[in-house]
Amino acid sequence: MTDIKDDEWVARMAELWQTRSKGLIYGLNLKAELATRQGVRLRMPFNPNFCADEDETLLHGGVLTSLLDSAFGLAIFLAVGEIQTMATLDLRVDYLLPAKTRSDVIVEARCHHQTRHIAFGTGQVMFDGAENEVVAHGTATFALTRGDQGKGHWSLRPKDGTKT
Amino acid sequence: MTKDELQAICNKIPYFRFLDFTIETADPDGVTTTMPFADRHIGNPEAENYHGGIVASLLEATASLSVSDDWETQPPKPINLTVDYMRPARSGTLNAKATISRKGRRMASVATVAWQDNEDKPVAKGLFHFLLV
Repeated sequence: MTDIKDDEWVARMAELWQTRSKGLIYGLNLKAELATRQGVRLRMPFNPNFCADEDETLLHGGVLTSLLDSAFGLAIFLAVGEIQTMATLDLRVDYLLPAKTRSDVIVEARCHHQTRHIAFGTGQVMFDGAENEVVAHGTATFALTRGDQGKGHWSLRPKDGTKT
Repeated sequence: MTKDELQAICNKIPYFRFLDFTIETADPDGVTTTMPFADRHIGNPEAENYHGGIVASLLEATASLSVSDDWETQPPKPINLTVDYMRPARSGTLNAKATISRKGRRMASVATVAWQDNEDKPVAKGLFHFLLV
């Protein structure tokens, strides 16, 4: 697929995802701690602006949903590897515990199945220091346009490394 | 709760200030909101589209405000959600409407829709459940 090693491609994509992030992903201050074709693990530092209460101790559910959606995007991009465009079809989230914390937030996501047109993701949110307790669980479905050279918004593939 | 009471809540909640939406209407069967576009809402590096999580957040916020009887003592607790993304949400104002499907003493179910220029062309629809106790 490429003339660079696969693990180098994955590392390069994860680095580009990090350095070229803007908008919400930049604002969440997400750091990719683990980025592989098998799954990703992202860390968000606690941010009082994302709280649902005046005391700033409870993260709003929408933040956890945003974290899951962000993690699904990277996980599925890495797992599929030849994406021109991808769009979230649907997103389902169960809030299992109150998001009461001032710790870092950890989100893990992976692509558990893919077809030519569709990728299925599953993921979970935990707090740093209590990673045995899942705070939120999510699943998502993404519509894919496959192509060797990215043209759409995920045009992160290195041009020099692409051979058909 | 009245439109002014709901707006006062929105002004106090950090994440609602981050989203920066305002209450348009507040009726017993639901609430509508409107949110100006901001760079911090962008979802991907190349296109200036909303992040899917921001769309879901506006829907959840609008849904929760529509089922609250007394936010100060008992804010609705979100249980789960499903969001269908139907069109890209492009740079521009995003509107949301929540309609209460069923509200009991303990539980509420709320249907939501988000749109931009044309309410007949929704960018997303969402279903939310809340615990009210």
